[in-house]
Amino acid sequence: MKRLGFYAGLILVAGYCLAPVLWQLITSLRPAPELTALPPLLPSRVTAEHYAAVFAGHPFGRIILNSLIVSAGATLIALGFGSATAFALAKLRAKGQAVILGIVLATSMFPPIATVSPLYIVVNALGLRDTLIALVIVYAGLALPLAVWVLTNFMRQVPDELYAAARVDGATPLQAFYRVMLPLSAPGLVATGLLVFILSWNEFLYALTFTATTRSRTIPVGIALFPGLHEIPWGEIAAASLVVTLPIVLLVLLFQRRIVEGLTAGAVKG
Amino acid sequence: MACTKLTSMRVSRLLLSALALTVAACSDKSASPAPGEPVTIVFKHGKLFGDPRAFDALIKRFEDNHTGIRVRTESLPASSDEQHQFYVINLRAASADFDVMALDVIWVAEFARAGWLNDLTETFVPADRKNFFKGPLAAIRYQDRTYAIPWFIDAGVLYYRKDLLAKYEFEPPRTWEELSNIAAAIKQREPGMYGFVWQGKQYEGLICNALEYIWSAGGDAVRDGRVVLDSPENRRALGFMRALVHERGISPELVTTATEEPSRRIFGSGKAVFMRNWPYAWTLFEQPNSPVKGKVGITALPHFSGHDSAATLGGWQLGVSKYSRHPKEAAVFAQFMTSAEALKALALAYGLNPSRRTLYDDPDLIAAQPHMAQLRATFEHARPRPVTPQYVRVSQVLQSEFSAVVAGLKPPEDALASAQHQVEAILKR
Amino acid sequence: MIMSLRALAAKPAAFLAPAAVMLAAVTVYPILYVLWLSLQRHSLIAGPASFVGFDNFARLIGDGRFWNALANTVYFTALSVAGELMLGLVIALLLAHAFRGYGTMRAITLLPWAIPTVVAARMWEWMYNGDFGVINYLLGTDVNWLGSPVWAIHAAIAMDIWKSTPFVALLLLAGRLAIATDLYQAARLDGAGPWALFRYVTLPLLRPLIFIVLIFRTIDAFRVFDAIYVLTGGGPANTTETVSIYAYKVLFQGLEFGYGSALAAAVFVCVAAITAVYVWLLRRSLA
Repeated sequence: MKRLGFYAGLILVAGYCLAPVLWQLITSLRPAPELTALPPLLPSRVTAEHYAAVFAGHPFGRIILNSLIVSAGATLIALGFGSATAFALAKLRAKGQAVILGIVLATSMFPPIATVSPLYIVVNALGLRDTLIALVIVYAGLALPLAVWVLTNFMRQVPDELYAAARVDGATPLQAFYRVMLPLSAPGLVATGLLVFILSWNEFLYALTFTATTRSRTIPVGIALFPGLHEIPWGEIAAASLVVTLPIVLLVLLFQRRIVEGLTAGAVKG
Repeated sequence: MACTKLTSMRVSRLLLSALALTVAACSDKSASPAPGEPVTIVFKHGKLFGDPRAFDALIKRFEDNHTGIRVRTESLPASSDEQHQFYVINLRAASADFDVMALDVIWVAEFARAGWLNDLTETFVPADRKNFFKGPLAAIRYQDRTYAIPWFIDAGVLYYRKDLLAKYEFEPPRTWEELSNIAAAIKQREPGMYGFVWQGKQYEGLICNALEYIWSAGGDAVRDGRVVLDSPENRRALGFMRALVHERGISPELVTTATEEPSRRIFGSGKAVFMRNWPYAWTLFEQPNSPVKGKVGITALPHFSGHDSAATLGGWQLGVSKYSRHPKEAAVFAQFMTSAEALKALALAYGLNPSRRTLYDDPDLIAAQPHMAQLRATFEHARPRPVTPQYVRVSQVLQSEFSAVVAGLKPPEDALASAQHQVEAILKR
Repeated sequence: MIMSLRALAAKPAAFLAPAAVMLAAVTVYPILYVLWLSLQRHSLIAGPASFVGFDNFARLIGDGRFWNALANTVYFTALSVAGELMLGLVIALLLAHAFRGYGTMRAITLLPWAIPTVVAARMWEWMYNGDFGVINYLLGTDVNWLGSPVWAIHAAIAMDIWKSTPFVALLLLAGRLAIATDLYQAARLDGAGPWALFRYVTLPLLRPLIFIVLIFRTIDAFRVFDAIYVLTGGGPANTTETVSIYAYKVLFQGLEFGYGSALAAAVFVCVAAITAVYVWLLRRSLA
C-alpha cells in the first residue's frame, strides 16, 4: 500500500514537472499552420522543420558551445572559490564568520537591473566586451554567495574529528581540504554545481548587455534573436528550448550517479 | 573524487591566468587604422526576420561602392524594449562599439537630448527630405536639427474578413460605430467568432492603439506643447475602447493581454472578423497554408463621425552614434541604407515598408504587395506619438492608466485626469 | 620559499581571498556605485547629475506606484516561496529512496529549472493564452489568465513555483542524502513511524539547509524580473508590477538613474530586513 502511494507520488511529480515541457515538445513538432489550432491537442502530422530551422537559420551550434564554456567555467570557479571559503569558515575557524557570511549574502540582494549598468562600464573599460571571459567571471561572482552558503553548511556537518584526524596524520590544511573535506561534501558540491551551471546557462540580462556577436553570444540571447520585428516563430522557439535542455539533462544523469556512488561506497560518516 | 577536485583547482588557476592573458589580448581599443587601410563601421539593428542573404548582398554592394569602408552588422533582439535598454547602457558608458544604429521612431528626440546622436542636418539634405513621409520627418527632429534618417515606416491599419462582409452584405466600416455594429451582427450569425481583436496589453502597443481612437475622436495627448489628455474627446475614445471589451462584447477579454502576434494568430486562424494591426500581417495571411488566404482586406482605421481616420506612426530610423570613431563613414552608410535602391531591396526581401513615398509607385513593389496604394494613403497621414525627449517616460504613465481603463479597473475620467496630472509633471522638468 | 607559502596556505585568509577578490570586483563595486547614484538626481536627459542626499528616498516614500509594486512583490514572494518550499520538500523526500529509474526521475524533476527563464515565461504565456492556450483547453475554462487584474499575479506565481521548485528540491535532496542512514535505522528500531522519523530526524537535521533555501528563494523571488516582465510586462494596470519591474522602467524607460537606483536600494533594504527576520527566527528555534 505504501509502495503504491510512493509510486503514485512519483508519477504525480513527474507529471507536474513534465507537462509543460511535453506541451512544448508537441508544439515544436507541429507544422507551422497548426501552431495555434487547438481543438486537436495533437498535430495531424509531425514535422522536424522547426528543429532544422533552429540550426539552419542561426549559428546555434556555436551558441551552445559558448554557453557550455561559460557555464562550465563559472561553475568550476564558483565551486573552487566557494568551497575554499566554506572550508575557511567551517573548519579553520576564520574570525567574524557571521559578518563574512552576511556580507557575502548581502551582495546578492541587489536587483541585477540596477547593477548591470556600472558593471558594463567596468567590462567596457577593461576591453572585455563580447568575450566569454567577462561572462565567466560575472557569473562566478553572482553564484558565489549561494556556493559559499550551501558548502559552508555541508562542511560544517562533516564531523570535526575527521578533519582533526587528517591533520594529526600530518596533512596541511590544504591537503586536508581536498583529501577529506571535498569528498565528504560531495552531495553539496554536486547540487551547487548543477544549480550554478544552470544559472549561468540561463542568465539573460548580463549576456544581452555584454555580448554583441556570436563570438560570445549565449543561448538565452540566441533564442531572443529568433523573433523578428513583429513575427514570433513559436515552433522554432519551442524546438530550441528543448534542444538546450538536453545538455543539462545529460549533466544531471551523469553527476547524480556520482553522488549515490560516493555515498554508498563506504561513506565515512558516524 | 579528490583527483577531480584537485583538477578543478588547477583549472580554476588556469582560468585566472587565461583571464590575465585575455585582458591583454582582447583589448578592443582599436587604434585608428593607418591611412589607406579600410575603416570598419558597425551597424547595430534589430533582427530582421527572413533570409539574411538579401541583407548581406546589400551590405556587400555598399562595400563594393565604397572601397575604404567595411561594414560589420550586429543584430539585437527585435524587442524594442530590449534594444532601448541595450542602447541606454552602452551609450551611457560612451561605448564606441557601434557607429550606425536603428532607432525606434519614439527614441530619436530622447537620444538627441541625451547627446548620443550626431547632428545629421547637413547629411540629410532638404532636397531629399521631400521624398519621405511627413510623419517620420517630424519625429527625427529635435530643436530644429535633424538627428536621424527615416528607414522604414509602419502604421496601424484595419484588417477585415472580406468574405464575411460580402456574405452578409456589409461594406468595410468607416466609423467605429459601424465596425461595432457589423461585428455584432456577424458574431451573432457566425458562432464562435470574435468581433474585433487588437493589442490591449500594458505595453507600448497599447498607446499606439489608444491614440488611434483618441485622434479619430478629435482629441490628442499633447497639442502645441500643452498636455490635453483630460478632454471630453479622449474620454469618449477610451470609453469606447473599454466598451468594446466589457459592455458590447465585441472584443474578447483576452485583448487585455494581446500583443501583435497573438492577435495576428487569432485573426489568421479565422476566428475574428476585424483586427487592428501593423501591415506586416498581410503577407503571413497569404501564405499557402493560411486558413484566411484570399479572404483578408485592408483598409484605413475607422474614426468617430465628424472626424478623420488616424493611424499611429511606427517604424525605424538610422542614426549615427555620437561616440562613433568614424562619423563621416557612418553617415555615408546611413544615407546608403535609406536610399531608394536599398529600401526597395529591403521591402522586397523582408516586407519592410519604405519611408520614401516615391517607392510606392514602383511596379515591383506593387506586385509584391497589392495594398501599396492603401498603405501609401495611410502612411501619408500617419501621426507620430508626442515628439519629446520625455516620450518614453510619458508612455510609462499612459500605459498604466490606459491599461487600467481597458481592464475595467478605472473609469476613463479618472485615468485621464491622473494621466494629465502626471504627464504635466514630467514635461515640466 | 615553499615553507612560507605552506604557512600562508594554512591561514584562513588564503582560503577566503579568491572569493573576496571576485566578489569585490563583480558585485561590491557595482553596489557601491548604485548606492552612490541613489543619492543623486541623475536623469540622462536632463542635464548633469546633482547630489540631493536622501531626496530620492523621500520621493519613494510618497510614490504610490512604489507601494503598489512593493505590495505585489511581497504577495508574490510569500506565495511563491511557500509553495516552492512545501513542494520541494515533498519531492526531495520522495526522491531520497533508491528505486528503479532514480536517475531519470532526478533529471525530470530538474527540467523546469533547466529551461531558460525567458523561454519558460514565453512557454507559459503561450499556455495561458485565452484563445489557443492549452490550460483553458484542458480545464474547460475561459479565464483570461494574464489579462485579468485578479488572476494575472497568480498565474505568475504558479509559473514561478513550477520553475523554481527544482532548486529547492535539489538542495533539500542533497541535504537529506547527507543524513546518515544509521540514524534512520536506529530510530526505526526504536519504533518510530514515518511521521516521527520526519519530525525528529529529518526536519531538525535539514533545518539549516531549509533556512538557506528559504533565504535564497526569498531573495530571488523578491528581485524577480525576467519571468514576470516577459509574461505580463507588469500589467494589466500594474497588478503584476514588482519593484524590480518598476525600477527597470524608471531606469531604462524613464532614464532616471538616480531614482531608479534608489528603488534598487529599497529592494535591498527590504530583502535584508526579511533575511534578518529569518535569522532571528532560526536562532529562536535553535535555542
